[in-house]
Amino acid sequence: MSLSTSEIERYQRQLTVDGWNQERLKSARALVVGVGGLGGVSATYLAAAGVGYLRICDSDRVELSNLNRQILFTTEDIGKPKAALVAQRLSAQNPEIKIEPLSDKLTETNASELASGCDLIIDGLDNHADRLKLNKASFDLNIPFLYGAINEWLGQLSFFHPPETACLACLLPEELQDPKPTPVFGPLPGAIGSLQATLALRYLMTGEHPVSNTLLVFRADTTVFETVRFERRPGCGVCGKTVPSGH
Amino acid sequence: MTIFLRAGGQLRAMLKPDIDHYTRKVEIDGEKTIGEILKDISLDPAYVALIYVDGVMKDLSFRPSDGQTITLQPPVSGG
Repeated sequence: MSLSTSEIERYQRQLTVDGWNQERLKSARALVVGVGGLGGVSATYLAAAGVGYLRICDSDRVELSNLNRQILFTTEDIGKPKAALVAQRLSAQNPEIKIEPLSDKLTETNASELASGCDLIIDGLDNHADRLKLNKASFDLNIPFLYGAINEWLGQLSFFHPPETACLACLLPEELQDPKPTPVFGPLPGAIGSLQATLALRYLMTGEHPVSNTLLVFRADTTVFETVRFERRPGCGVCGKTVPSGH
Repeated sequence: MTIFLRAGGQLRAMLKPDIDHYTRKVEIDGEKTIGEILKDISLDPAYVALIYVDGVMKDLSFRPSDGQTITLQPPVSGG
């Protein structure tokens, strides 16, 4: 897939980055589910970098309490659907790529349909139950799942692609007792979303995934990064079952 | 035997840190599992999503040794 003159100029400052493969990014297809704090940031960097096709899914509308961290939105956006707004803003940022906004609510039955045809699933969700639905779709379709989550000062991310790696259900199989609404330090989703974008772009260009079987934890209050190793869980309800065809 | 429990998020208040803002020193008699230690200090394990020690994930059955720091991670599910 060749680049146009305008694309060469647009991406000029990254084309000479060591290991960069713009053509692969142009032919890549990514799904971002949830475009609030995490997904709004990761989707922005994927769009700016020139990922050729972005499917963005979010059933929420903008609320005033989103605005301490969801920096794609303004006060005038309150009440408007997030997916359409993000598509509009990212298309303005980079008209060279195709963006498909979906306002569907993620369910167990539509998760696979939403992810179908994509090379990577990027997690921008705000609850663990929906993440487990996406993790199941990731396994069923053999599409890698780039997980990210935040709470107060804590952020964490990992890359799941069983059977090569563990899956989210190996690590956190059950619904979590998380207080709602979750307190969030505003810049934290920006940091974790940027790291997700970093890993996503690296994976889409090279196939490498350095945080597999590793949870990267960022403690924003002490500015400390930690890595925690884990393994596939025998008997996992998702990836411990019979491997679907296509793996 | 002395171990150190460390927690962030909403777990921090439940842990009642005494060493610093995040860490509680706990004296235990003999070998105990993390699950037993949490019970001893009345911390409900339902609020602990992940446990890790020296960069490796563990579970409630892990038996810490003297001087180890055990990190208790609360649920992290926002976005």
